Amino acid sequence: MPKQDFVIERYDPVTERSYEQQFTAEYEPGQTVLDCLNGIKWAQDGTLSFRWSCRHAICGSCAMKVNGRSMLACKTQVTDIVKRGDPIRVAPMGNQKVVKDLVVDISNFLDAFERAETWLQEIPDQDPPSREYHTAKEEFDRWSHTATCIHCGACYSDCTVVAADPKFLGPAALAKAYRFVFDSRDSQKHERLEFLSEKHGIWDCTRCFMCIEACPKDVLPMDAIMELRTEAMREGITNNHGSRHSNAFRGGVRKRGRLDEATLPILSAGVRLGAIPELIGYTPGALRLLKSRKLIMAAKRHGANREGRRQIRRIFDEVEAEKARSAVDAEAFAAERSSALMAH
Amino acid sequence: MKYAFWPGCVSRGAAPELYTATKAVAEHIGMELVELEAAACTGAGIISDGDPYLQDVLNARTLAMASKLGLPLIDICSTCIGVHSLAVEKLENEEYRARINERLAPEGLEYTGDTKPRHLLWALFEDLEDDRLRSLIKRPLAELKLGPFYGCYILRPERVLGFAEHPHRRRSLESAIELVGASVVTYDGMTKCCGFPILTTNKRNSLAMAGGHVGEAKDSGADALVTPCPLCHLNLDAQQYDAARVVHRKLDLPILHLPQLIGLAMGIEPDKLGLDGHVVNTKPLLHKAGVR
Repeated sequence: MPKQDFVIERYDPVTERSYEQQFTAEYEPGQTVLDCLNGIKWAQDGTLSFRWSCRHAICGSCAMKVNGRSMLACKTQVTDIVKRGDPIRVAPMGNQKVVKDLVVDISNFLDAFERAETWLQEIPDQDPPSREYHTAKEEFDRWSHTATCIHCGACYSDCTVVAADPKFLGPAALAKAYRFVFDSRDSQKHERLEFLSEKHGIWDCTRCFMCIEACPKDVLPMDAIMELRTEAMREGITNNHGSRHSNAFRGGVRKRGRLDEATLPILSAGVRLGAIPELIGYTPGALRLLKSRKLIMAAKRHGANREGRRQIRRIFDEVEAEKARSAVDAEAFAAERSSALMAH
Repeated sequence: MKYAFWPGCVSRGAAPELYTATKAVAEHIGMELVELEAAACTGAGIISDGDPYLQDVLNARTLAMASKLGLPLIDICSTCIGVHSLAVEKLENEEYRARINERLAPEGLEYTGDTKPRHLLWALFEDLEDDRLRSLIKRPLAELKLGPFYGCYILRPERVLGFAEHPHRRRSLESAIELVGASVVTYDGMTKCCGFPILTTNKRNSLAMAGGHVGEAKDSGADALVTPCPLCHLNLDAQQYDAARVVHRKLDLPILHLPQLIGLAMGIEPDKLGLDGHVVNTKPLLHKAGVR
């Protein structure tokens, strides 16, 4: 049987010592990282701790970092990740406190679902149907993939925003919220979108695609977050930085065909009293930019050429009219979703 | 080697040194760049917050312009290549493509799907003969230890970036650093988000990301970072002093644009590469590299 070295990041809560330990495990083609960890635990070191249960990518227990990326140990075959005799590096999930070895405290991850109230909230004072609720196929197609989440936390572990802000709701809870926002049986759509548009919600996502790459079940959390943004704006929930930023960005491109860096920060902050401290906060940075000539270049407001601007404005107008007639934005998301699900 | 060239908004705005350096390097290696002066901003994933369909129309238009010229489209920004590549994927859907082509028709344009956009970083290794590329390196930067900083959209989602056909793209930036003879410093943050997309939405989080990555690279021994993305450059360089305050430490790490690095190693003079236009001073780095 082939042999493979593993370097495992360990932590002993009694001595509070973090250390790396190397093991060598035998494996047969087709065997997974989890099989090797169990082999090590059973034959070499019974104190090695990690969570696992189903071994079939259903229970969501065994998410951990393998060679730096979060994945299910039971869904990851050794032969797929081994590189030129390098050891496979195994570490606990990120963005969460380590309890012991590869076991982390997932309470922050789970709290996010409670904060976002990711359960069905029925329409009050309405008699339930005599048989089951019916969901139209188009509606089901929109969110059924998000309902496959197994709460493994791989997305949360790799999320670049949670790393900077532990209060950020995170990809999994936001994808679950999406599922209820677009569920016609739910009564709280608008309230949900308002809550999700607050700080630590949809507008704090950086769109880094980490969660889409990490998810072992193709939930496409980031795409769900993006569609929530569009829906929130459509519902008129625009008194926030994110919507103002998007609108200001769009306005600049409409005028010149290009991003208008000179006015964007001001318009994103908003014409309101509360924006004043924020705008003052830009001053030291702006002075440094002035010194490096960057501000002058931005203020020159480069644009597309004359014919380009004319065509771009035509497209903006036509799209606006088209949006009033048909659900083109939902079509855009559907196109992205179907190609993503097909590719994965 | 002739390309339809999309410079992106930032190289014509707050990062003019990227435009300067790109032109200098292209001329040096004989890449002819036909600038798409009528093209629109990609929307950067921000227009799509409220108007995803509009963003797709704008990008289909840019791709169709390149295809009308019969030239491959070249980008010099990780965000631009990411948004263009995602548009290509969505436009494979025939119904959606037909709808979008109706918006392009009045201008005499049609998106046919025959344009695959590429980033300058990829083009260097895929379109130039390997021997010729290596022969152009006249001033190896052997003294420098450099950290790559990719920018999300040139790495993710992998499915739209041609990684299956071009596996080298996964470590293209390390290859560029090796090409110029410098040593590669790897660190955790090199493939993560610079924070720029949320700079105006959540400045503290944004700068904590930028400052965290720069600090980590510095701790790993990097003399500078190199990036193929001008948006990352804005957060890592132009915002570096504010980021330093958020992470409570001194940073002072120069950030190079990809063509600046390549240009330096090809023997192009620093002032022709806009190296004096950064917020973080690049002089000590040039001194260490033995350039003037």
